Formats: sequence, structure tokens, C-alpha cells
Amino acid sequence: MMKHLMAATFLVAAALTVPQGQALAASPPNMLVIGTNLTGIRTLDPADNNARTVSELISNLYDNLIELPQNDLQKMKPMLATKWSASADGKLITITLRSDATFQSGNPVTAEDAAWSIQRVIKRGQVGSTDIALWGFTPDNVEKLVRAKDAQTLEIELPIQVSTDLVLYSLASSSLGIIDKKTAMSHEANGDFGAGWLAANSAGSGPYSLSQWRPNDIAVFEANKKYWGGAPAMIRVIARHIPESGNLRLQLQAGDVDVGQYLASGDLDALANDKKMVIDNVPGLGFYYIALNQKDPDLQKPLVREAFQHAFDWKAISGNIMRYTGFPWQSVVPKGMIGAPSDSTSRYDYDPAKAKALLAQAGYPNGLKKVLNPSGAATLPFTEALQASAKAAGFDLNLVPGEYTPAFRERKYEILLGNSGARLPDPFAVATQYAYNPDNRDEARLGSYYLWRTAMQVPELNTLVDQSMKERDTAKRTDMFKKIDEIYKGMNPPLIVFFQRTDPYVTRASVKGYQGHTTWSTRWHDVTKTKE
Amino acid sequence: MASVDMTTRDNSPMSSTTGPTPNGPTMPGPATNGPVDDMPDDGIKLAIRRFIGRVVAVVTTLLGLLFLTFSMGRLLPADPVLAITGPEVSKEVYDRVFKQLGLDQPVYIQFVSYVKRVLTGDLGVSAITGQPIVTDLMSVFPATIELTIVAMLVGTIVGVPLGITAAVNRGKPIDHAARIIGLAGHSIPTFWMGLMALFIFYAKLQWVGASGRIDVYYEGIVTPVTGFLLLDSAMEGNWDVFQNALGHIILPGAILGYYSVAYISRMSRSFMLEQLSQEYIITARAKGLASRQVIWRHAFRNIRVQLLTIMALTFGGLLEGAVLIETVFAWPGLGQYLTRGLQMNDMNVVMGAVLTIGIVFLIINITSDVLYRILDPRTR
Repeated sequence: MMKHLMAATFLVAAALTVPQGQALAASPPNMLVIGTNLTGIRTLDPADNNARTVSELISNLYDNLIELPQNDLQKMKPMLATKWSASADGKLITITLRSDATFQSGNPVTAEDAAWSIQRVIKRGQVGSTDIALWGFTPDNVEKLVRAKDAQTLEIELPIQVSTDLVLYSLASSSLGIIDKKTAMSHEANGDFGAGWLAANSAGSGPYSLSQWRPNDIAVFEANKKYWGGAPAMIRVIARHIPESGNLRLQLQAGDVDVGQYLASGDLDALANDKKMVIDNVPGLGFYYIALNQKDPDLQKPLVREAFQHAFDWKAISGNIMRYTGFPWQSVVPKGMIGAPSDSTSRYDYDPAKAKALLAQAGYPNGLKKVLNPSGAATLPFTEALQASAKAAGFDLNLVPGEYTPAFRERKYEILLGNSGARLPDPFAVATQYAYNPDNRDEARLGSYYLWRTAMQVPELNTLVDQSMKERDTAKRTDMFKKIDEIYKGMNPPLIVFFQRTDPYVTRASVKGYQGHTTWSTRWHDVTKTKE
Repeated sequence: MASVDMTTRDNSPMSSTTGPTPNGPTMPGPATNGPVDDMPDDGIKLAIRRFIGRVVAVVTTLLGLLFLTFSMGRLLPADPVLAITGPEVSKEVYDRVFKQLGLDQPVYIQFVSYVKRVLTGDLGVSAITGQPIVTDLMSVFPATIELTIVAMLVGTIVGVPLGITAAVNRGKPIDHAARIIGLAGHSIPTFWMGLMALFIFYAKLQWVGASGRIDVYYEGIVTPVTGFLLLDSAMEGNWDVFQNALGHIILPGAILGYYSVAYISRMSRSFMLEQLSQEYIITARAKGLASRQVIWRHAFRNIRVQLLTIMALTFGGLLEGAVLIETVFAWPGLGQYLTRGLQMNDMNVVMGAVLTIGIVFLIINITSDVLYRILDPRTR
């Protein structure tokens, strides 16, 4: 027995000491390895997605009609469309498609495919339809309204009055990637428009096609050498699920991974000091906020809400835990967008004495006790910081950690700290979330509107958000967003914004052309790698 | 997970026969009381009866387990719809997905229809991967079993000799050293140890791979037959892939194994001490047998059954304990799969994984039962 044990020990020891150096060479010069978090991606069908990571994957499999360049999001760029125009009354958008684009099957990209892809998103009614359904399309009217005039001309008739720019922006989202109708429909089962097959296969005209997909593990993309925009330099791109930030950091430093996403701030700190790494904090269209439930009689009082504005020592965390995930911002109009204010970093400071005085004035001389929840694990550190600083301001917050987004959507919370994101590069997208609530009843269940989640309704804001959707004149829209911001600022809102979100992307310095995208449609076509 | 452990432990043959005592085996009567000629038949019948009894007990346990898991899932604050749609979703889409997942049905109907489907081998579709649970399990289960086997090998090869050496040298420095080595593995958080080991063996020495079962460049080269990458690559004779896979599994396997060293070595030590104080050992020594022979040929033989009990329990424990290691090493295994299922409230995933772990315990129980009979003639 002992002999066997010894023999086995030697075998394992021998295996352990075999250097694996050959296998551990850095990723080849024509291959891009992205370390990310693939949790929760159940399908790669464009119509069924709109979250961050999956948007990036899909954007490289499917081209859109229009592209939004990261350096100027509102300057729409042709992609599969060569030009577009809107009728004088703003009710019809005509889009001309390029004639040299083909799908990976070899089929040409036609206006019929484009019309079908848009119709499909509406008819499937999954999460990918969130933005485009805002413009009044329904499964019943979409076939009539979105149509191919000829092989290269697409017509989109708008059922409601809406700014055509907003409609065009929504066409640039990853959910509206153009799918090869013939290929997808050849795999259709039970009227699913090919969704079952598209979950793990691709049928796009993008620079890459999907060659392997294992949920929560790996996605492998092969370059489309005949891509109409020229063959991409990276012949293969691999997105690998590496949930542990420390591990991802080591792999970035070893050169096995070229791009790292979702790293923790401690690891980002370490990588920031590494000359071989570049950290890009990509601004996102969303905020970190404190939500105060207006169904709670204490929090209903404007003075209490005002006290909250002075209860969070946000400056203390902006230098550390928020360094890579956000920058100070106290308005609901995102930085750089039309109508964005200039005073949005100095509206409210941490002032515990003032907060206490406000609380006393509101009838709480001995402070106020409430339950505080984070929206999820990601916002827990900020919630802890809020709990600590609010104590000195007279708020005794009982922090209960967990996943509270569902409770937030159902208005079953007292105070919550969360973060948000949006994809349309227009203040309208954010204003809809933060300032719009058309029906404040519980049974309306308008969980997609944050203002509904806080149970507050401001008719004036509703009108302005509605108008900003319909108005086509930029100057008038700018004024509307300024007004929304002013009203919001003056009303002691139940959603207190402290930071605008940023998403840190780490790339090795040898990787050029990888640019994380604010609307999450990050594309790899122009990525190259230089020798280190 | 603890419930799996506890219930199956209670049903386990190991708890009723915790090894032979100095006074003789604890076997029930029929096998020894019957007429000599009938013994083989009776023995077989008894074995079959026992086997069926055990299967019935385990199936009942599994059903109870499913019920408990299902009920607990309903109490979690997580929302399976949001796991699919993301938080920014309109009411219409939310309602549609809610219905698609069958969540509009009463809970008991959801449970009954689930059990009905399980009986036909259909574990449902995962909300988070969009794939049938069976397909997911075919991929994650071998990954975890492979990792656990490596961990078990490490734990046994290090733990048993360590424990026996400690027993033989009781009270001496080597005994203390063995205790420190063992307890360190148990006390240092595996999460931290995993990262430290990665730093040394991956980042600095470049001996091993950092994440997953294989380097991305080797993906798809070997056709999965058993799902065990080491076995599949060896069967294909693809030694590059084998070496790469070994380089990926050895570190998480060793750390997971090291975690179990404390338990295995401490138990080996205590079993061995008990044997070493027996009269037959004194007799053997008095006869002038070499110390090595006394320890390995006499004393060790008598602790094999007890060790088997410990190892079977350890194997189950490692299956559960693999969660953290799987996260650190991005190991696409059952632990990660189950944890994600729990976080996202994907009950099909949770119940499928729990059922799988339950079945593994059943197999471990039956295997160790068979092994008892081989190792200990008194139990036949």
C-alpha cells in the first residue's frame, strides 16, 4: 500500500513541476482575449438583450443601420445605411441601405432583412424592444409601419409624434442589429422567429461570427474576412468569464488577457500603476442615486428629503471607491448632453449640522431611524459609506444587504442606494427614468420608471418629458431639459443623484483601437495589437 | 447544501457501521444465523433488499430536498424575471417573461409540474443560460467531479501518511508539525489561498494556468466523450491538451485537497492511535516485526474501513466546498452553476444541481458500502 501511495505522490509531484510555459504564452498578436463577466447571458439573440456585456458581443456579430461614434455620440454615422432622411412632417423616415454588405451566409443584406429585424424585435416583445417600443410600434402595427420599399430602401412610418433623431438613435442599439431573415427563418420553431437557434448561433453581417458559445464560460468569435468594412485585424476574439477580479488582474498582467472588464477598485488601483496597462473610464448614461420611498410618511416630508441631500459624505468616497466607477454629478441631465447644467457638482455638500437642523425642523429632533438597502452587491460599498456618514447627520440607518432591485421595482423598501444606465444618447432616456411617472397607482406597476418606484408624481415633469420626446428643434429641447433640471433641483427630489456612472475598461497598452462604448455597443473591428 | 449532507449522512451505511470494534463486527443476525447452505441466497436477497431500501430512502430524501429547496426559493428576495430581462424593463415585457416562466401559476402547481417533468428526465430549462438543465449539467458536472477527484487524491495522498506519521510519533515535534500543516489548510480561507497560489505559481513561476479548464487556444480541439477533459485528451492521445488541462486543474485541485488534509490527517491519526494501543500491536512488536510492517501491514489494514468513511464524507464535502475555488479559478463547475442559480433565483438550476449532488451522495454511499464488504470480511 505504501509503495502505491509513494508512486502516486511522485506522479503528482512530477506533474506539478512540469513547466507549462509553452501553453502559457501571451495571447497571439492577431487574437483578442477579453476577460469579463458572462453571468446572466442566456441568449445571443439581439431582440432578447439590452444589458452591457451582451450588447458588446452582439454588436460585433450584427451590424446596425446606424452607428454612434464614441467620440461624439449624437453624430450619427452610416453603417448598413448610407443615408437617411425624414419627411417634413416628421412622420416618415426613409433609409437607404448599402449594396455591398452580405451576411455570413453569403446572402446580401436587404431592406427586407432590416424591416423584418425591426418587426421581429417588436413582435417578440422581449427586453430588446424597450427603447423602440416607446415610439408607438406594436405587434399589430409594425408590419405595416416598418417596410421595405425596395431591396435597398427602408421606410419607417411613425405612429406617434416623436423626434426622428430619437428613433434613429434607437436603431443604433445592439438590440436592433440586422439579422439574416432567410437563415434565421430556416431555423424557426414554434413561431419563435428563429430565436431558439439564434440563442447560440449568429446570422449577422458583422465583422465576426460566433463559433463557440458556452453560457457563463466562454464565447469565441471568428473574423469575417469578407466583411464589407474590410477584414478585421483580430482573426479571433474570445470573451471569457473570469468573475474573480484578482484572477483577472493577474491574467492581464501576464498577457493572457488583453481587455479586462468589471475589475474591483483595489485591482484597478494596482493596474493604474502598471505602465503596461491603460484604464479608460467610459462615462455611462446613468447615475448613482439614493431613492426615498414616498409611501413612507416620514420620507414624504420635503424637509427630510432635503436633509438627506446633506447626509452623504460623497466627497469622501469620490477619491477611493468611486474613483473608477463614477464622477461627482448632481443633476438628472447627464454631463455633455444638451441642457446639462454647469453647477451640477456643487449643489449639495455633506453638512451633518444642517441635516440635523432640517430634521429637527421637520419634527425629528432626536433623529430618524430607517432601513437602508443596496440595489445589489455592486452598490453595497456605497451603501455602507452612506450609512456611516448619515449617522452624524441624525439618520440611524439599518443597512440590510441583499438583492433589492425587485423590491425597488415593487416599491417595497424605505431607502435604497442604486445605480442606473440607459442607452439612448439623449437626455430624454434618463429623464424618462428619473422624472416621468404617468400613473402613480400601485396597480399601474410602472417599474421601468424610477420616479414611479419612489411613488412620486409631478405632472409638470411628465408634460416636459412628453414634449421632449416629440420636439424636433434642438434649441427648444435644450430648454426643456434645462427646465426639467431646474424643477428637479427645486423640489427636493426623492431620487438624490450624487455621481454619474463610469465603466472602467482595462486594456494592455499593446492593444490599440479598443474603445469601450457609452451605449455598450463596443466594436472590435478596428482593434490591433502592437508588439510589446 | 448542508441539508444534502445531513440527510444522506443519516441514511449512510457508514453511520451504522463506523468500522469494526475490537469486540467484533456489528452485523445483523440473518447472514450468520441461517443454515450454511442457504447463506449465498439469503445473502443476495438481503443485499437486494438493502439496496432497494436504500434507494427508496434516498429517493424520498431527494423529493423532500426538492420540496425544501423549492419552498426556500420562493422566500428569496431575488426575482427570476429580472435575472433575464435586467432591471430596465417595461411592465409589458416583465409580464410576458413572468408568464413564460410559468410564475403566474400557483406555487404548488409549479412544484407538482416540476416533479412530474423530473420523473420523465426533463429538468427544465435554465433561465440564466437558456439551455436545458441536463445540457448544462453535462458540462458543469464533469468539471466539478474531475476537480474533486484531483482534490481527493491530493487530500488522501498527503493527509493519510501525515496522520499516520503523526500518530506513530505522537507528542514529538513531527506530530505538532503535522497538526500545524493540516490545520493551516483548514483555517486559511481557500479564497485567499487560491489568489496567493495563483500569484506564485501562475504569475511568477508560470507553471500553471490561471482560469478555466484549459487555455483558450486549446478550446474545441478535443471532442468531449466523458466530459472529463484529462480523460478525453488522454483517450485521444492529445498530450498537449492533456498537459495544459493538467496545468489548469492541479492548482485548484491541490488547494481544495489541502483544505481536506486537516480532516483526513487528524482522523487518520486518531484511528491509528487507537489501533496502536491494541494488544495485537504489542504482540507484533514483541514478535520483533519491523516497525514499518507493524504500522502498514497490521495497524493500517484495520483502519481502512474507517478511512473509507472519512473519505466518502470528504468527497461530498469537497463537492460543496468547491464553490469558492471555482469562483477564484473561473472553473465552469457545478458549484458556480448552483450559486449563480441561487443568486438569480433560477429554481430549475438550483433544483437540478441539488438533485445531482443528492445522486452523487447516493452513489458514494452505495460504492462505499460495496467497498466495506471487500475490505472487511466480517461485513460480508
